[in-house]
Amino acid sequence: MSSEPATAAALGPVTGYRPLPAVYDEMIDGEGRAREPWSHVGRLIDGLGVPELARRRGEAARLLTNDGVQYQPSPADPGAASEVRAPQRWELDPVPVMLGSGQWAELELGVIQRAELLSLILADLYGRRLLLRSGLIPPELVYDHPSFLREADQILIPGSQLPLCAVDLARDAGGSWWALTDRAQTPSGFGYALENRVVVSRVFPSMYRNVQAHRLAPFFRTLRSALRAAAPRGVDEPQIVVLTPGPWSETAFEHAFLASYLGYALVEGADLTVRGGRVWLRSLGQLEAVDVILRRVDSSYCDPLELRSESLLGVPGLLETCRLGTVSVVNPIGSGVLENPSLLPLLPRLCQHMLGQSLRLPSVPTWWCGEPDDQRYVLAHLEQLVVKTTSREPDAQTLLGWELSAAKRDELRRRIEARPHSWVGQQPLELSTVPAFTDRGLEPQHMLMRTYLVARGESYTAMPGALARIAPTTRGALINRGAGHRAVYKDVWVAASEPEELTGFWLRSDQPIEAEPAAELLPTSRAAENLFWFGRYAERAESLVRLLRVVEDRTNDFADGMTPAGNACLRTLRDALAEVSGGDATSDDDHSRVDAQLEAELQALITNPARPGGLAYAVRRLRDAAYRVRDQLSADTWLVFSALERELLGPAGGAAEQAPGRLARVLSSLLALGGLTAESMTRDQGWRFMNVGRRLERALQMLGLLRSTVTVAHDTATDSLVLESVLTAAESIITYRRRYRSHAQLDTLLDLLLLAPDNPRSVAYQLELLTVDVTAVARRDAAGRLTHAERLVLEASTALRLADLCPLGRVDELPDAAASVASGDGQVRSRPELAAFLEHLTALLKRSADAVDAEHFAHPLPQRPLPPADTGHGIYLRLV
Amino acid sequence: MAYRVINRTEYRYPSTVSASFGELMMLPRDLPGQRCLRSALTIEPEPGDLRERVDFFGNRATYFAVLDPHTRLSVIADCLVRVRGRRAQPSSDPIGWEQARDRVRGARGSGPGADLEALDARQFVLNSPLVTLSTQLVDYATASFKPELGLLDAVRGLASRIHRDFEYLPGATQVTSTIEDVLRCRAGVCQDFAHLAIGCLRSLGLAARYVSGYLETRPPPGKPRLVGVDVSHAWFSVFLPGTGWVDMDPTNDQLVDDHYVTTAWGRDYTDVPPVKGVIFTQGDRQDLRVSVDVIPVSEDGIVPEDAESSSDNEASVSEP
Repeated sequence: MSSEPATAAALGPVTGYRPLPAVYDEMIDGEGRAREPWSHVGRLIDGLGVPELARRRGEAARLLTNDGVQYQPSPADPGAASEVRAPQRWELDPVPVMLGSGQWAELELGVIQRAELLSLILADLYGRRLLLRSGLIPPELVYDHPSFLREADQILIPGSQLPLCAVDLARDAGGSWWALTDRAQTPSGFGYALENRVVVSRVFPSMYRNVQAHRLAPFFRTLRSALRAAAPRGVDEPQIVVLTPGPWSETAFEHAFLASYLGYALVEGADLTVRGGRVWLRSLGQLEAVDVILRRVDSSYCDPLELRSESLLGVPGLLETCRLGTVSVVNPIGSGVLENPSLLPLLPRLCQHMLGQSLRLPSVPTWWCGEPDDQRYVLAHLEQLVVKTTSREPDAQTLLGWELSAAKRDELRRRIEARPHSWVGQQPLELSTVPAFTDRGLEPQHMLMRTYLVARGESYTAMPGALARIAPTTRGALINRGAGHRAVYKDVWVAASEPEELTGFWLRSDQPIEAEPAAELLPTSRAAENLFWFGRYAERAESLVRLLRVVEDRTNDFADGMTPAGNACLRTLRDALAEVSGGDATSDDDHSRVDAQLEAELQALITNPARPGGLAYAVRRLRDAAYRVRDQLSADTWLVFSALERELLGPAGGAAEQAPGRLARVLSSLLALGGLTAESMTRDQGWRFMNVGRRLERALQMLGLLRSTVTVAHDTATDSLVLESVLTAAESIITYRRRYRSHAQLDTLLDLLLLAPDNPRSVAYQLELLTVDVTAVARRDAAGRLTHAERLVLEASTALRLADLCPLGRVDELPDAAASVASGDGQVRSRPELAAFLEHLTALLKRSADAVDAEHFAHPLPQRPLPPADTGHGIYLRLV
Repeated sequence: MAYRVINRTEYRYPSTVSASFGELMMLPRDLPGQRCLRSALTIEPEPGDLRERVDFFGNRATYFAVLDPHTRLSVIADCLVRVRGRRAQPSSDPIGWEQARDRVRGARGSGPGADLEALDARQFVLNSPLVTLSTQLVDYATASFKPELGLLDAVRGLASRIHRDFEYLPGATQVTSTIEDVLRCRAGVCQDFAHLAIGCLRSLGLAARYVSGYLETRPPPGKPRLVGVDVSHAWFSVFLPGTGWVDMDPTNDQLVDDHYVTTAWGRDYTDVPPVKGVIFTQGDRQDLRVSVDVIPVSEDGIVPEDAESSSDNEASVSEP
């Protein structure tokens, strides 16, 4: 036993990790020793051991889920209207990849030079095109590439033409670094890199403290400066927005994360409009000028007027405003042309020509089939090369020559010969490995590393860190998508040569704190509308859960069916449930209905997201609304949603084993959500709309509950049970007992649930708060007259205040024939005045909701392409 | 020769359109042998934004946006164009077609033998959205492109064959039809024939571009000129190294002369549609009417007063 630790130590660092033969391993050198930057991390990992690492990995996964870090599978048609697809969890292997400071310094110089070069190339391609004239770039390389957009010609933004770019790097078996791809369209992943860092530092706090790794926050400050520097000339305080394809795009998480981290509005194409030669943001009831757009929509989808006419993700007229220079799009529309791998073999000469330097960081050897010699080489070596299309359009392909059958190779040969400009061949690299933590412990997996650059002045700043993607095979690492495995990512730590000062994103250690513009960011009309519905669905779900719980309790209480009053009460409650959930109130038309059926209906109401009016439905709509305003909500919101989804929407949502306690758990999540929105959101306009939705819905739910229960009178025993159940569902039973010290009676119940100004569940309480918020968001005319919504809320509040409870409680002398027959209880009598009063209030509040919608939320009409006027489809003959 | 060209395009919508954004390519550009003396665009309702620019190919493109609700959009382009000496083509062929192909292919922009025009022409040898090169097109073209034939003769032969082999049949194709569609149904309209010819030329390695414009139609002898019978037209242009671009109309099997007015050119139709746009509306239908008049006027540019002519210049772009 005592010899075991020694044996483990003899295996080398990190619990028996064995690199692959003939592959460069990032951690272990040829002699089996840990490389310098890893020595510390290796020791720490060894100290933790495999079981503890597994625990930490689980912790990382939990943190990522709770932060709502997701990656959507790539859409089949990126231009199509959004559809809900299951997002994937972001897979993070928390063991970081270490880079030594010397090594990084070298790489950093390489990627910075590359970005400088690419920026100059981009400026030339959309400017004077001297590179084509001088023969340094063959015209076909540019003109035959779908990402070269003639519509974007001669559009220049101030400063660098390529404010942001990314370079994918890989290390070969000999230990040399190569650039595989340059990302210039909408470089993505640096938000994930930051999130990775946050999670890894939380999972390995002591490792993070002890290993001096460069921090990422300064990079994001530089990004902010770069966006400001890109603003049109003369704009000092630019309004900057992040343009996202929407909540269902691949990297939607990152768009929202960046927007809220950087403090910019997250907008979709429909939130922007062009008029008077400027881009405007549709804020609440007004248009705000936009100066810089951080673009996360691919170029060709950005302007349906001039580019893809079917795109619903863009803004018609955007290119025209770019031409006028009133807005700067970052990266500029058309920047994707730099992602053409045919440029790679030209870079050494271009670097020499444009920068007067030799290219520091070599590109992976690439042959462009548009050059006859290269084409011959590629065709002769198909089985040894990675062959891919030059564009990333939907039909883009990456083929590994050695995997193709002879027939497939022949087919590929024909395709290359037919469109040689569209293909390149690349030398495959045996990618280096890093220790990946798997279920079997640490194993070597192949790595690709994406580095990020942002323009600063004439040059660039590199993010001192990277996003690494790992896979068990080189193939898996090279082919990102559809390879049958899920991508796994790692954080990359760059060892700092000296300790860094601790600086957060907003802290500047080197200069006085710069005052940031403090103007309140008005939500977009779309965001306000989603917040309004967020409030409504949150409240609807909560009311439903409470009623469902009462029904469940009463069902248990009277399961034996022996208590007539209990049976009658249960029927009333089920009817009420059917009524408030918009289902058909038929549960009592058939007394022979078996319990199993009722139970099934109840379950569907709880867990079937396709059942409108049901709980799962409300929660799904709530989640969808939340996704659309992701940037406005606290990160903890996703903690709540992941719990709700587990209970109701996930694969286990409908599972029976979830049932016990499910409603209680859902309720506690909804309460947490209520707490978050109450405690963690600033009282801005957006919050007010959420509150308007909440108050309106809570009042409507209360009115609905009362209408469907107490507008009829039963025998005393039944009534007593019903009233008590209503008080329970209305979360007021404790207050009631304390205040009235009696059994439930209608007049006191109505007093508490309708009129009591101090009961946070009463309708009067909701109307009071509603009045405040509806007034706060109201846009009155010059004379200060009340808006329609204000008037309606005032009318409802007045009607309520003037209400006299005594006559409202009056019961009809004669039993209500229909109700009596339906319930099987001969003594059911209605309360017509109460019913009419509740009806009246309900109608006023529904109209108020409509008025809020009409006054505040823009609903742009559907966008359609104008059909073309035919050319020459008329008479043609020239009659001479 | 001068023409007054009036192009009236009108969309009517059954349901309200909240905003229209559009781009027009209706105004003739200047080129050797053609000068646009005056041009006016009238758009109704009055657009909130209206700007003319020069596009990648040197065409005149007009951006407009109508930002008030409307159920009708009318565009009238009214231009006075002088066309004189368009057909300055060489009568005898200066260059064989293979030689032309090789000169385009090897064109350089700098150093000895630099030929910027030929270098620029290289982009017109490539695929474009509606024109995909194919061996099928080579097969069709080969009958006209006998070895060592002069380029111009070969192109004329090709245009004649298209004129003979394909039926002019409005409705046989749509504006987005591809060459394969046209080859399959052996019928089409001017746009299709232009695309077909361009596809043949490019498949052989020659530079060819798409030209849109107008053609004067003349009434039969003794009949009055009818209003609104002219059409917007399309043809192709082929690059002759050392000479320049030569326009040819395969629909009417002739070289383009002073009866033609060029508005714009590009790789294919998608670069130069007379109207394109995006509208916001519930409705998915509209009624479109186009009428074109190409009216010969005296060479000194005096335009006979037209009762119909619009004097509303509020929303117009005028040439200085």
